[in-house]
Amino acid sequence: MSDAFVEVRGASKAFVGVQALDNVSLSVGRGQIHALLGENGAGKSTLIKILTGVHRPDAGEVLLEGTPRHFRAPRESIAAGIGVVHQERNLITRFSVAENITLEDPPTKFGLFDEAAAVVSTRKWLDLLHLDIDPRTIVSRLSVAQVQLVEIAKALSLESRFLLLDEPTSSLTPHETGTLFEVLRRLAADGVSILFVSHKLEEVLSLCTHVTVLRDGRNACESQSLAGMTRADIVRLMIGREEAMFAAPATSVRLATPALELVSVATSLGHRDVSLQAFHGEIFGLYGLIGAGRSELARAIMGAAKITGGELRIEGTPTRIRDVTDAVRRYGIGYVSEDRKGEGLILAHDIASNIAVTIWHRISRFLGFVSDGMQDRVAAPLARALDVRTPSLAQRVGNLSGGNQQKVSVAKWLAASSKILIIDEPTVGIDVRSKAYLHDLILRLSRDGAAVIVISSDMPELVALADRIGVMKDFRLVETFDNSRNYGASSARIMQAIHG
Amino acid sequence: MRKFLRTDWLGLAVLIVLGGAALGIARPEFLTPYSIDVILVGFSLTVVVALGQGIIIAIGHMNLALGAIGCLVAVAFGGSMQFWGFPTWAAVLFGLAIGLACGFVNGWLTHKSGLTSFIVTLATLSIFKGASLGITEAQSFDGISDAVKAFGSDRWGPLPETLLVAVPIVIATWLFLGKMIPGRQMLAYGGNPAAAELSGISRGRIVILAHTLSGLFAAIAGMMTVARLQIATPTIGDEWLIASFAAPVIGGAVLSGGHLPVIGTCLGVLVIALINQALVLLAVDPFYVQVLLGLLILAAVGANRLREARLGTGPKLRLS
Repeated sequence: MSDAFVEVRGASKAFVGVQALDNVSLSVGRGQIHALLGENGAGKSTLIKILTGVHRPDAGEVLLEGTPRHFRAPRESIAAGIGVVHQERNLITRFSVAENITLEDPPTKFGLFDEAAAVVSTRKWLDLLHLDIDPRTIVSRLSVAQVQLVEIAKALSLESRFLLLDEPTSSLTPHETGTLFEVLRRLAADGVSILFVSHKLEEVLSLCTHVTVLRDGRNACESQSLAGMTRADIVRLMIGREEAMFAAPATSVRLATPALELVSVATSLGHRDVSLQAFHGEIFGLYGLIGAGRSELARAIMGAAKITGGELRIEGTPTRIRDVTDAVRRYGIGYVSEDRKGEGLILAHDIASNIAVTIWHRISRFLGFVSDGMQDRVAAPLARALDVRTPSLAQRVGNLSGGNQQKVSVAKWLAASSKILIIDEPTVGIDVRSKAYLHDLILRLSRDGAAVIVISSDMPELVALADRIGVMKDFRLVETFDNSRNYGASSARIMQAIHG
Repeated sequence: MRKFLRTDWLGLAVLIVLGGAALGIARPEFLTPYSIDVILVGFSLTVVVALGQGIIIAIGHMNLALGAIGCLVAVAFGGSMQFWGFPTWAAVLFGLAIGLACGFVNGWLTHKSGLTSFIVTLATLSIFKGASLGITEAQSFDGISDAVKAFGSDRWGPLPETLLVAVPIVIATWLFLGKMIPGRQMLAYGGNPAAAELSGISRGRIVILAHTLSGLFAAIAGMMTVARLQIATPTIGDEWLIASFAAPVIGGAVLSGGHLPVIGTCLGVLVIALINQALVLLAVDPFYVQVLLGLLILAAVGANRLREARLGTGPKLRLS
């Protein structure tokens, strides 16, 4: 492989007691779009960190155009021509878009930052991504999708010959993703090598030409051509077995009274005329593009934002929910946040506390005392039932994998025996195995009588899971229909509702 | 977490025993009853101050006005006895009420304004301190009741009576944060405010409760100081601030909230009391106590940081 631009040879890396990478190799040819795949914990992040100079490998080496390189810090890999879009956001939110994009090498005039020049050079990169924003906009005012595109523009602006994109499309709409892919294909044609990391296999299949799959820190396949490979082939490489096909069976029950009903509700966040019904035993799927107001609607239902018009009914009774405490304790509503680490869990606390936090007031006895034993009695059966992989309930949640963290997020609402459960992006950033498990869990919860509202940007997931689907656009519910679980029909209907 | 809590303060305990032994060998007078008494009195005052700050640190806030509240309470406590002839019990209740009220104001303002506790308590620090100086015209009140004076100077067997207040407070705080729901909720809120709120924990209640308790602790410490000094002066509380942060931090508390080891905090206080006494015995200029304390804070923060890095729970490395 003399034509390889970036090569990793036999890289190994161990952290206290864990072999994160074991003799892993990878070779990205010039002008190649190469997918790096693997479940959470397979070693992708570690490999990325070695390529970007955050970690140094215990064994093995990184070669750039055939020359061994030893990056000691991220700036050394950037200097060597590696452009990176990290999974986490890394913009300075109080700075303008132009300042952020030109941060590495700001244009100056008489020693001062030359905003006009920065705006001109920035606009070129924004235009490339069809991103129609003023470069002078402060980043904190942008939507999540716009921020992600600005990050990508920033990486492009370095004009690197090697681009490493870690989950670059996680917040993007299909349309924005399409634009990005066109740009990437053009760059590849110009000889730029691209390493593309994603959980979305459909994207990988449409974009990439080669693939490296990691499993348990080892190569499941190395720099193989994607030609002729199917989704099933890749999944088999990732999990080491066939993926169980999943589609929720249709529900048979629909009780007369919805567990939760919104009647032309307006909120202080800007929703207008939202009407929906969620029944016990049913999964209501809420689809919409980023910024359509889905999570905000969940917040309003939870009492975290004001309902300014219309009516919210619980079990048919018009209800005013004053605050989140009210929603959780009085009306049994639970909300699994899309932002697990930021809003869902207390990472520094143990599993038992994280699960029991919703019901301390209920399990306490004399004078409000709650002991570890009491917490464990509640948490242990749930952790077992949800298959949380941990040596002990005293384990810190921050040390668990994404999939196990999500199980804990759900478990705390099971502990609270929520009758209405809103699950926001249930499987974002979660590996294939845990994903299937969580889908099955959500289904079981609804069939056991909970009214479940699933918010998801993952259309295949929503179509497989939901009994009915509601589509949101611009803080309105524009369409509600019974989901046939036929992907073609349902997805067409959703896209029609959004774009038609 | 629980295992982590158990080992949290072990090193510190070993350090104290070794340091105490070394000092006892170098300066035999360190182990005399008089010297130990001084350490215990210092401990019982500082531990109440440290827990008053600790309970705020637990929710990730800070209370800069701790000393000012203690001062206002001390002045009100002494003044009510000297000028209004309050009996001791009434003066104590009056002092507690003022402490609770000041703490409540801190919490309420922080909650309602959405400002950081740093700004709010910086402002109230100035207000409470100014009020104390205004009321007293910078003079001391010495019309303290005999019961209060006795409490500050009497011994219960070999132990100072102030310890009889401090120890139950330590135990109560430990139970409160470790086992009681409002305490657990405070730690949950400190660990991740957003997650705690979405779990049905009321932000306002937690913030106000923590600040109010902090005011209560400041009041108790203020009145204990009056008892020990036998006089209510408006300089009480002036030197509390550093120790109030140093002891919890040395004990392993996380300043961003969510973790406050009560036993560790007590050991942190003990370290401070030991250092004070050691430097007196070694005839070091008392001003250098401050220097040493500052170095100790840096060392403790560094040690915590290392431990977090080893556990892999520290702040993530950010890449730009």
